Amino acid sequence: MGCVARRLRNRGAIPLGCALAALWATPGSADSGLKLFTPDAFELSGDVRLVAVDGEKSWVDGGFGKLRSGSNGDLRVQPQLGNVSLVWKPQFTWSLGAIVVGMAEGGQRTEAGLSQAYLTFRPMRSKKVAFSGRAGLMWPPVSLEHEGADWHVKDSITPSAINSWIGEEVRPVAAEATLSANLGDHKLRATGALFAANDTSGTLLTFRGWALHDRTTLAFHHQPLPPLDSDLAGYQAPFTHPLLDVEPGFARRPGYYAKLVWQPPVPVRIELFRYDNRANPEAVTSQLEWGWRTSFDHVGLVADLGSGAQLRAQGLQGRTEMGFREGGARWVNNRFRSAYVSLTRPFGSVHLSARVDAFDTRNRGSDVGDEYDDTGWSAMLAARREWPHFTGLIELLHVSSRRENRSDVGLDARQNQTQLQAEVRMHW
Amino acid sequence: MVRNLLVALALASAGAPLAAAPLSVRVVDASGRPVRDAVVTLYPTGPAARPARPGGRFVISQQNLQFHPFLTIIPVGGDVSFPNFDPTKHHVYSFSAAKKFELKLFAKDQSRTVHFDRPGVVALGCNIHDQMSAFIVVTDSAWTARTNAQGMVMFGDAPNASGRIVVWHPYLRAPGGELQQALGPAQRSASFQVRLRPPPAMPMQDY
Repeated sequence: MGCVARRLRNRGAIPLGCALAALWATPGSADSGLKLFTPDAFELSGDVRLVAVDGEKSWVDGGFGKLRSGSNGDLRVQPQLGNVSLVWKPQFTWSLGAIVVGMAEGGQRTEAGLSQAYLTFRPMRSKKVAFSGRAGLMWPPVSLEHEGADWHVKDSITPSAINSWIGEEVRPVAAEATLSANLGDHKLRATGALFAANDTSGTLLTFRGWALHDRTTLAFHHQPLPPLDSDLAGYQAPFTHPLLDVEPGFARRPGYYAKLVWQPPVPVRIELFRYDNRANPEAVTSQLEWGWRTSFDHVGLVADLGSGAQLRAQGLQGRTEMGFREGGARWVNNRFRSAYVSLTRPFGSVHLSARVDAFDTRNRGSDVGDEYDDTGWSAMLAARREWPHFTGLIELLHVSSRRENRSDVGLDARQNQTQLQAEVRMHW
Repeated sequence: MVRNLLVALALASAGAPLAAAPLSVRVVDASGRPVRDAVVTLYPTGPAARPARPGGRFVISQQNLQFHPFLTIIPVGGDVSFPNFDPTKHHVYSFSAAKKFELKLFAKDQSRTVHFDRPGVVALGCNIHDQMSAFIVVTDSAWTARTNAQGMVMFGDAPNASGRIVVWHPYLRAPGGELQQALGPAQRSASFQVRLRPPPAMPMQDY
C-alpha cells in the first residue's frame, strides 16, 4: 500500500487513541455535554438485496461494467448483502463532537473498514451569522441524493453517475468551515475547505469511465482498474487508492473546495461547488500510482413542486491530467462531464422516483486517447416505502454506454445493462 | 345634602363602568383570502385600557425536530417551559429584544422554564436544527387573540371606547412586522389587508 498510507494512518491513530482513553476515564455529566458511549451515540443500519442483472462483468470484478453487480451476458439473480454501517456520534462538549462510521460492503467482493471519521464544531450562533466546521475524513458536500451520518441514498438504491463517482474517488481529508446568513428573505450559506490525500481522483473515471453504484471506497482501501494495455501497465498500477497523498508527507500541496448555496424566498435551492485537488501530475509512488490534477465545477438544484413532489438536478464538468507532457499534452488529459434530473413524488405511503442520467469523458492525452472515451446514459425507476426501523425499495435501472477499448476484453464497444433490485433496509 | 354630595363623589371617583361592545376584526391577504394565526391586539385609550392578567404557565415542546405549538400568546409575567421530547438534543435560542436567552436541552424529558417580563414578539430558533422556528407573543393588553381559519377575531368583552388595533403575523411584510389602525369610538368592526411573505420552504441540507 505504500509508506505514505501507513504514515497517514499512524499520524491519526495514536493521538485519537490517547484522546479516547482520556475521555473514557473522565466521568461524564449531562450538564457538560459529554456523551461518549450512551446508546443514543450509536446508529446501526444495514441492507440486504435481491439483484437480477444481465450484461457485462462489473468493474468491481475488474471488468468495464458500470454497476455494482454484473454477469457474463445472461441474466443472473442472486441475494446479496448490501452495505452495513455502524455510526458512532460522540459529543465531547456541547459544541464539539465527532462522527465515526465503520462500514461493511457485500456483493461481488466483501470488504469492511472505516468510511468516515471527522470532528464537528457548532458554536452558538450570533444574531446575523451561524458558523460551523468539520475536519477529518468525510464526504464533500456535493450529493443531493445522500443523507444521514451513514451517507445512504434516500430515494433509490443506486445513486447517479456524479454521486457514484464522489463516493468512490472524491475522498479527501479536509478541514471545512461554513458560514450561514439570512439576507432579508434570502438564505445564503458559504463553505470553504482545504484538503489533502485525494491525489488520485480521476483514475477510475479515465481508465474505467463513469459508473452507477453505491459501493463507496473505504479508508486506505483500493479499487480495481479494468485491464490496461501493455504500454500503460508499464507505468500505472492495476488499482487505485482514492485516499492517497502521492507526494511524500501529508498535505504538502493542499487542494481546496468551495460551495455556495442560495435559497431565495421560493421553494428552490441552488448550489454551486468547485473542487481542485492541486495534485502534481508528475509525481508517482513506488507502487506506480500517480498524482492526478483534477478540478471540477458543479451545479445543484432542488425544487419543491407542491404535493410533496421534489425535483433534483446536478451537473458536473471537470478535467483531470496525469503524467509528463509529450508533444503538447500530458499522458492523460480527460475532460469529463455528467448531469442528471430526478423527480420524486409520494403516492400515499409509497414514494416513486424517476431519474435520467447522461455522462461522457473525452480523452485527448498523448498516451490515453479517444479509445478511452466513455459516453452513455441511464434511466432509473424506484419505489420506496417506510416502516418504523425498516425501508423497502424496488429499483429498475438501465444503463447504455459506448467505450472503444471494451474490444480489449473481447466485448462490443456499446454495452447495455439492466438491473432489477429489491432491498430491505434496517435502521436503529 | 352632604350625604348626596358624598354619594355623587363616590360614584364619580369609582368611574362609570363602560358597557361591553363586542368588536370583530378581520384579516385578509392581498388576494382577499382569510389569514389565520394573525395576532390581533386591542389597546383601548384612557381608563378603558386593561393589562393582561399576569402570570400563567405555558409549554412549548420540541418534537420531531419542530417546536409545538408554532405560535403562543402569553401575558407579561408568564412562564414558558420547553420540554424536549426528541431523541436528539436541542439548543433553543432567541435574539429578540423582548427576551434574549439560550437553553441547552439534552434529549428526552429535560426541560427549562423561562420567565417573560417584557411585552413584544419573541422569535425562537434551534442552533442545531435550522428548520425549527416558533414565536411567542408576550402581550400587555387584556384583549389579544389569534385569527381563526376565517381570518376573524371576536372580542366579546371589548370596552365601548376608541383605541388602536395592532395586527402581527410571523410572515407579515410591513415595517416592524406589524400593522396598526385607529379604532373610532363607535366603530365595532375593523378589517386589515396584509401582504405576507411565503413561509420558509425547504431546510438547507445539514452537513
